[in-house]
Amino acid sequence: MRHFLVMTLFAGLASVVFGAMAKDTTRDRVFYGLKVFAEFMLIGLVLGWILYFIP
Amino acid sequence: MVKTERLQQADEVEPAPSSAWLTGAAAWFVPGLGHLLLKRWWRALLMGGAVWACFFVGMAMGGHLFDLYAEGSSTLLQVPPMIANLGTGILYIVSWVFDYGFKDDPAQAARATYEYGNTFLLIAGLLNYLNMLDAFDIAAGRKP
Repeated sequence: MRHFLVMTLFAGLASVVFGAMAKDTTRDRVFYGLKVFAEFMLIGLVLGWILYFIP
Repeated sequence: MVKTERLQQADEVEPAPSSAWLTGAAAWFVPGLGHLLLKRWWRALLMGGAVWACFFVGMAMGGHLFDLYAEGSSTLLQVPPMIANLGTGILYIVSWVFDYGFKDDPAQAARATYEYGNTFLLIAGLLNYLNMLDAFDIAAGRKP
């Protein structure tokens, strides 16, 4: 559980910076930040499951 | 596009004013300061705050900062992570002056969060490089 929380914190902090510096409007920035956050989480989970099956 | 056209376009790009370089330097030195100087309060809070948070969370997890000196390891291998750590500016410098976070301590390395801490510290510096470029672009008028 702690690993997941750390990953979430990491994704949150990184996506805040990515979202804040990208795009032109606040709305676009928020959506982009959320998209980056979701991508971080999804890729992290997929990689976690792939590595789970690799001894 | 032919080479001469590209050269003409390069000539047309206005050089960045010295204030933009100073803003970029301030943004590197103190995370968030560049945007504060530009009166971009929310950006300073969010982007600078993320770097500070990343750094202190990394430290709290027992992360390790890199410098050129390392026992049993090549100096060259220390350079890339040191560049990443150096991105945190004054946070790295203060830690270096007080020798906090640089020691190779086996007990610290055995902590479950040690590698997470390393990653947070590396990312804090890399994110601040992005902040620095963003502040520079805004100060130079290349970004709204």
